[in-house]
Amino acid sequence: MIDRREVIRMARLARLELSEMEIDQYQKDLTSFLTSGKKLQQVDVSRVEGTSHAVSVAHELRKDEVGKSLPQEAVLLGGPQVQDGFFRVPRIVEAQE
Amino acid sequence: MTSYDTVIGLEIHVALLTQSKFLCSCSASFGAPPNSQCCPICLGLPGALPLINEKAVEYATKAGLALNCQINHFSRFDRKNYFYPDLPKAYQITQDAFPLCTKGFLEYYVDDRLVQTEITRIHLEEEAGKLIHSGASIVDSEYSLVDYNRAGIPLIEIVTAPDIHHPRQARLFLEQLRLLMSYIGVSDTKMEEGSLRCDANISLKPNGSSVLGTKVEIKNLNSFRALERALEYEEMRQSQVLYRGGTIRQESRTWDDRAGKTMSMRSKGDAPDYRIFPEPDVPPLYLDPVWVELIRATIPELPLERLRRLEGQYGLSRYEATFLVNYPDFGELFFALVSQHFGYKSIVNFLMGDYARLAREKGHLNPKRIAGLLKIVDEGVISQTQGKGVLDDLFSSDLSAREIVEEKGLEVVGDPGRLRPIAREVLAANRELVSRFQNGETKLFGFFVGQVMRVTQGKADPGVVNELLRDELGK
Ligand SMILES: [Zn+2]
Repeated sequence: MIDRREVIRMARLARLELSEMEIDQYQKDLTSFLTSGKKLQQVDVSRVEGTSHAVSVAHELRKDEVGKSLPQEAVLLGGPQVQDGFFRVPRIVEAQE
Repeated sequence: MTSYDTVIGLEIHVALLTQSKFLCSCSASFGAPPNSQCCPICLGLPGALPLINEKAVEYATKAGLALNCQINHFSRFDRKNYFYPDLPKAYQITQDAFPLCTKGFLEYYVDDRLVQTEITRIHLEEEAGKLIHSGASIVDSEYSLVDYNRAGIPLIEIVTAPDIHHPRQARLFLEQLRLLMSYIGVSDTKMEEGSLRCDANISLKPNGSSVLGTKVEIKNLNSFRALERALEYEEMRQSQVLYRGGTIRQESRTWDDRAGKTMSMRSKGDAPDYRIFPEPDVPPLYLDPVWVELIRATIPELPLERLRRLEGQYGLSRYEATFLVNYPDFGELFFALVSQHFGYKSIVNFLMGDYARLAREKGHLNPKRIAGLLKIVDEGVISQTQGKGVLDDLFSSDLSAREIVEEKGLEVVGDPGRLRPIAREVLAANRELVSRFQNGETKLFGFFVGQVMRVTQGKADPGVVNELLRDELGK
């Protein structure tokens, strides 16, 4: 069983608010994911090259040309607080000598 | 008592001068209304599919080649996850494990010593948005405003090895790097607009020790001067802590330019955990070595090469050559004028003198018009002093130097036949002074010269005037 505190930390990193019941549930679910993962780790891959993408595709590049952007009103639609065309966000860091 | 060595490493972000953003086609231009250059891709809306801008890859490669790096055939993009208001997607697409360029170096002068700083890596990534803080700095702001126009502009991050030894060296390195980037034309490198930014890592270690001390990262360095001052401050602060027997805390500090000190930044969240993984939406880059060579062929003469050429081929002093290298517009002008066969030194003296002041106010003159002026001064048609007046007129009119001279009747009068009667007139009008001169008041000679120059409105050749007056007074 993975540590309950580990579940809480992961939730915080993903900015998720979990109820006590959800924490219990994720603790079980994540443990079973990790158990499956452990099984995969037993496979000998020492002779297989590492991969980062499921399909091997060569990169496709785009020409450096300017296209259309969204109108400002549409961009700002997603912001809980806006001011003079900007998104407005609360205090970011606290100072200390 | 132990003495300490300073160890500095820099991380420089250079915004690439592309028309469109890195992974979408929004404009990358500066100064548009806030949040007017954004789209589903750079805002990270679900379902958007990024595509790499080929110009960004080209510019990053060019920067790597100019910094003597190895350009990797294979490089890969990664997703760096974190929450910060300037990052709309809550992750940045960057290159972590497999950067585009590795193992390079930059050579530059520290006083008269040529030094090398190792470049560990250069990678491509996305720019974040711009924050405008409500207070004087981030630490005393109750809220901040965010503009995502810059979010997604292509950046390169250049990381040096920790092999810079003092704050001034760090500044000289950064100045040389800026110059290099502007020579290869991949960035406009304006620190004040944020297209060139620098974070610095600094630690102290006991003299001679091979073990590095705990490093502190300094952010918010908005000018070359800020970089040097912040490092000097931090060097002093850390050495005081160590001399008192304290320990340095590994942390990020922000530079407060007005207060002249660094301050610890404590984030509200946990210690960073970026959970970096291969970026699923952007496939890896495989660069064709032939293509890399084509890019290499587009690299122009670089600052240090140009400095050596100006010193070696043209015999300029370090001071003169540095001026022409640091102001490439003046350098280009120098080469344009040199091709018209003037003395190298006289061109440099001209460019560094009054011309520099006027050109900075009003923009450069066409080299042809400058050559016209240098020619008539060279030929003695007008004097050096008159040349300065003509230079002013070149900046305010479209006439050539020769036309200005003709229009104003500025030609030097060097004809003794024309000047002798004037000299005689002057002496005749000042009989009393002439006799005082002949009785030994030799300093009056200058007065007679001045009178002739006044009558001729400064157009007389002073050498000829001297000779004539001496002759007339000797009679
Ligand atoms: Zn976009």
